[in-house]
Formats: sequence, structure tokens, C-alpha cells
Amino acid sequence: MDFRPLNATERQNLITALRGNADQNRVLLMDRRDTSFVGTADEVPDEEVINAIKSVPCHY
Amino acid sequence: MFEEYAAHRGSERGEEETGWVILGLREAAQAVALATLPAGAGRNAGLAHVRFNASGQAIGSRIVRQLDKRLTILGVVHTHPGSLRHPSDADLQGDRGWVGQLRGQEGVFGIGTADGRDEGQALLARQPKPHVQSLGKLCLCWYALRQGDTAYRPLPVELTLGPDLARPLHSIWPTLEAHADRLDRLARQQANVSFDVTNGQAKPALAVSIPLAEPGDAIRVLLEGEEVRYYLMRGGEVLAAHPGEDRVDLGVYLLLAELATRY
Repeated sequence: MDFRPLNATERQNLITALRGNADQNRVLLMDRRDTSFVGTADEVPDEEVINAIKSVPCHY
Repeated sequence: MFEEYAAHRGSERGEEETGWVILGLREAAQAVALATLPAGAGRNAGLAHVRFNASGQAIGSRIVRQLDKRLTILGVVHTHPGSLRHPSDADLQGDRGWVGQLRGQEGVFGIGTADGRDEGQALLARQPKPHVQSLGKLCLCWYALRQGDTAYRPLPVELTLGPDLARPLHSIWPTLEAHADRLDRLARQQANVSFDVTNGQAKPALAVSIPLAEPGDAIRVLLEGEEVRYYLMRGGEVLAAHPGEDRVDLGVYLLLAELATRY
């Protein structure tokens, strides 16, 4: 079992991703082989986009 | 956008305000606009206001985002009839509440006017200021607004090579608007529904594909204006189907029910 410490960049990416997950429900991606953190998905849910479109205010 | 703005001004409703929703990629320090969704014929608009037909734009966004789920809504462009090259106070009231739901809690806003100095048809676009683009009489001025801001700020724009991913849809926008709510319902209820723009009998058409249980089998629907045609793709064969229903979601479910009784 490898307990390699994260380097500074990996640590920052993980912290940012965890905050995104906690604050905005962003997805955390996991390596299925060893469950390690492999980044975040930048995908935007359909409903988020459609809700924003449907609430575009009237413009004058 | 300049091309469509010019076409709008030459149309029967050319005196009205119009606009587009912009989809693109939201990055940390910039946004890349990659698709425009028109206000649509179903817009509510006049000389001093425009409310987009959101149903058409919603299904349009589903179709464009089939290509890339990173695409999100960046903001809105709308036109002004006079020479006000800045969002109005009333725009600010609405947009301040709206930007909070955008990625980065910040939106991009464009204002189109037709008050440029150049007369006639210009061959080349100009960028007299970092946030202003002009082509002939037409101008687009760009601004950003973040949640909590009390005023828009000018937003520098740069052109880059890239597609308008929604452009193929513009030719079938009346078809999208005619069937928007039913198509949206179908896309939400059925997994893996896909959309394509294809050649219809007289003009471009929207093709909707609903996969069936067997690999390669599908119900395919062609929508051309108000007209709806159904096909069954089964075992490499294409069979025309006639559920007798112009409401596309209902037609699909009638076909699925018929298939369930037969197979």
C-alpha cells in the first residue's frame, strides 16, 4: 500500500474539488482501480442550463 | 450574429428588439462563446423590450450540448432600437438577480445597436474599442456583470477561430419552437434521445432518434415545420410508421406501445 504524500499542486486541486463538491455539488472523479482522486468534471447538468435559460429576464 | 441582426432589421418585425442567449465555455479568467440561441419567432418583443422564447432555447441548448456537456450559458445579447450602447437601468434590475445562477456568478451581456457611422454594407468589421465591435451601422458592445455589482463593466472581446455550434439549428428554429415543449419532455423522460439536423423534403428538418432495446434499433422521427413523420429502424430495415399523431411525444409513446404488444 502506497501512502505517498500529495504534492502542493495535487493538494490544492483536491481542496478546490472538495470545496466545489461541498458548496456547489460538483462531481469528484475517482480512479476505479484504486479509488484515488483524479480530478473534477467540468460538465454542467442539463437542468442547470435550462433553468438559467428559462429565467432569463425581460430586457429593455 | 451581425448577419442575423441585419436580417432581423430587414424583416417585418425589424423594429422590435431581438437577441440571443450565448452558450460557451466558462473558464476562470475568460469565457469562450461557442453557440447562439435566437430569441425565436415566439418571443414577446416590442420597440422597447424583448423576452425570449425560452422553450425553443431550452431544447436548442439540449441539442447543442449533446456535443459537449461543458457548454453552459454565458449570458445574453439583446438589441436597442436607438443609440443606447449600454444596458438600461431596467436591464440591470433583472440581470442582477439572474447572474447569481450562472457559473462564476457572473454573466456576459451584449448590446446591439444600429447607430454606427458607416453607411451601407461594410465588408470588414472593426473594433473601435476593446469592448465594441462594429460592422457597417451595426454595433455590438460587450459588458460583464457579477452578482452584487451595481453596474456593468466593459468587457474586452477577442475573436478566435471556432464554430457557432448552434448555427445548423438556426435553419430549423421555427420547427424547434413548434415542438419545443414536447421534445423537451421526451428528452427528459427517455434516456439517450439524440437530435440531428438533416435534409427534409423541402427544407432542413430535425431528426429525433429514440433507441430501442435491441442494439441499432430505434424510432426515428423527422420534424419539418409542423409536419411529423415516424420511422422504425429495426434489424437494418427502415419502416415508415403512421401513429396518426402530430404531437411528437404522444406519437412516440403510441409507437412504443404498439411495439410492446407485437414483440
